Amino acid sequence: MAATAAHQFAQCTTCHAWSPDHSMIAFCPNSNEVHIYRLLQEKWEKMHVLQKHDQIVSGIDWSISSNRIVTVSHDRNSYVWNQEGADWVPTLVILRINRAALCVQWSPRGNKFAVGSGAKTVCICYYEQENNWWVSKLIRKKHDSSVTSVAWHPNNILLATTSTDAKCRIFSTFIKGVDKRSSGAGSSSDAKFGEQIVQLDLSFGWAFGVKWSPSGKTLAYTGHNSVIHFVDDIGPSPSAQTVAFRDLPLRDVLFVSERMVIGVGYDCNPMVFAADERGIWSFIRFLTERKTASAGVKYGSQLSGAFGKLYGQSKYSTGNDTVQVSIPDGNVHENCINCIMPLNKAKDSTTMRFSTSGMDGKVVIWDLDNQLDLHEYI
Amino acid sequence: MEGGNPLKLYLNCIRNTLEAAMCLQNFPCQEVERHNKPEVELKTSPELLLNPVLICRNEAEKCLIETSINSLRISLKVKQADELENILAKKFLRFLSMRAEAFQVLRRQPVQGYDISFLITNYHCEDMQKNKLIDFIVQFMEDIDKEISELKLSMSTRGRLVATEFLKQFI
Repeated sequence: MAATAAHQFAQCTTCHAWSPDHSMIAFCPNSNEVHIYRLLQEKWEKMHVLQKHDQIVSGIDWSISSNRIVTVSHDRNSYVWNQEGADWVPTLVILRINRAALCVQWSPRGNKFAVGSGAKTVCICYYEQENNWWVSKLIRKKHDSSVTSVAWHPNNILLATTSTDAKCRIFSTFIKGVDKRSSGAGSSSDAKFGEQIVQLDLSFGWAFGVKWSPSGKTLAYTGHNSVIHFVDDIGPSPSAQTVAFRDLPLRDVLFVSERMVIGVGYDCNPMVFAADERGIWSFIRFLTERKTASAGVKYGSQLSGAFGKLYGQSKYSTGNDTVQVSIPDGNVHENCINCIMPLNKAKDSTTMRFSTSGMDGKVVIWDLDNQLDLHEYI
Repeated sequence: MEGGNPLKLYLNCIRNTLEAAMCLQNFPCQEVERHNKPEVELKTSPELLLNPVLICRNEAEKCLIETSINSLRISLKVKQADELENILAKKFLRFLSMRAEAFQVLRRQPVQGYDISFLITNYHCEDMQKNKLIDFIVQFMEDIDKEISELKLSMSTRGRLVATEFLKQFI
């Protein structure tokens, strides 16, 4: 099994994030709270509960460089939490949006973070030393619908966003006084703040889960019509590949290496995509291979005598007697997976371990070390 | 059982469609501040709706599946071969609709042109297992036909009994 550990933290989780040393996990149990747990002697112990939001928390990110946590919520607010002694002290960030905030991510250097919102805007927030205040700058009027996901390019300037208008866009987020001109790579860093570098209109469904590869050369995002897109050569003439698959759509992706991507979503089972020597992406397999018999059993039981058995059943129940109609696939997750996080050391460019969380409230840790057939792609 | 197999095909089709359509997520309203409502009911943002799917077995029996980003609406029209079945179906489904809270996913009012509607939101998907939800809908459809034919049968049995009793006095 590729899954090395699974823990039921809550009834349902919206998102999770790990501390820089991976000893602590912060997650939202589908409420207005953020819980922080720590692994002590093989047991998860609740350390802190962060209560400040008054609606469901939709995004959490834990900065690798500064040990700060940023949370965003449907209540339109964002807090940056600093650890002072044993406590986490919140600082309110005025995002200047009038709809729910949906996603958040720290920039690679930890000096900015981006928030996607239901107000069809993206907020780029940075710290102003002289005012002791987080300032939010907005990218307005570029999205036609809610921004579902944001991802930072490793150069700390470019930001990719996906939206429910089915498009993926890339913006420059250069902020004077925060970023240096020389720090960027190539021509794309010359753009002003909020300038749209490219707009990708590949999908026919809502777009979710955008991520950059470790080097920033490739971009991957998913569409709700069960496709995943891989985009190379970001700039004036990008080259795109689209891989369609027969299963339910994905919600989030993760680059394990330059040539391998893990996708998670409604199928409750992580999917592996990889590029061959020529750079052609394709679907490899599910991380937990399904038993081939399960499909056959499913159809068999539907067609055979189940009809007769229904006479003896109590009406309109969703009790145990209906289990035989739909057999669960034996997945580790029992409901949609909506978050995938890497568990690698900062200097490694490949991720052998990662964690997933989903609507079933479980956090599962996966290890690719014993998946020998996948090693050729890593 | 006569007609069992064709019904199976119809139900299988609905089951497969529901499996693909029931990919819902928490999604706050884009139009109204601090609201979170089923988009399939509000229909304020057309980009958040998917194309509706209509599955017909025949003119009298059909199933409309409308999907949005955070909710799914299933509307059923059940078979009504004659007036008696029509009355029975109407009364029976009204009886169920009035107790909609007990079923959670049942809608109090059916969509125009249909007999009964279900509304499944992302909250139902969080609380319940997806395959159980689908099983519930499919079994409901299976049982509703059976229930109405059973009601019809007991109705005519009772009618015959009453008539026999009544006519006995003339012997």
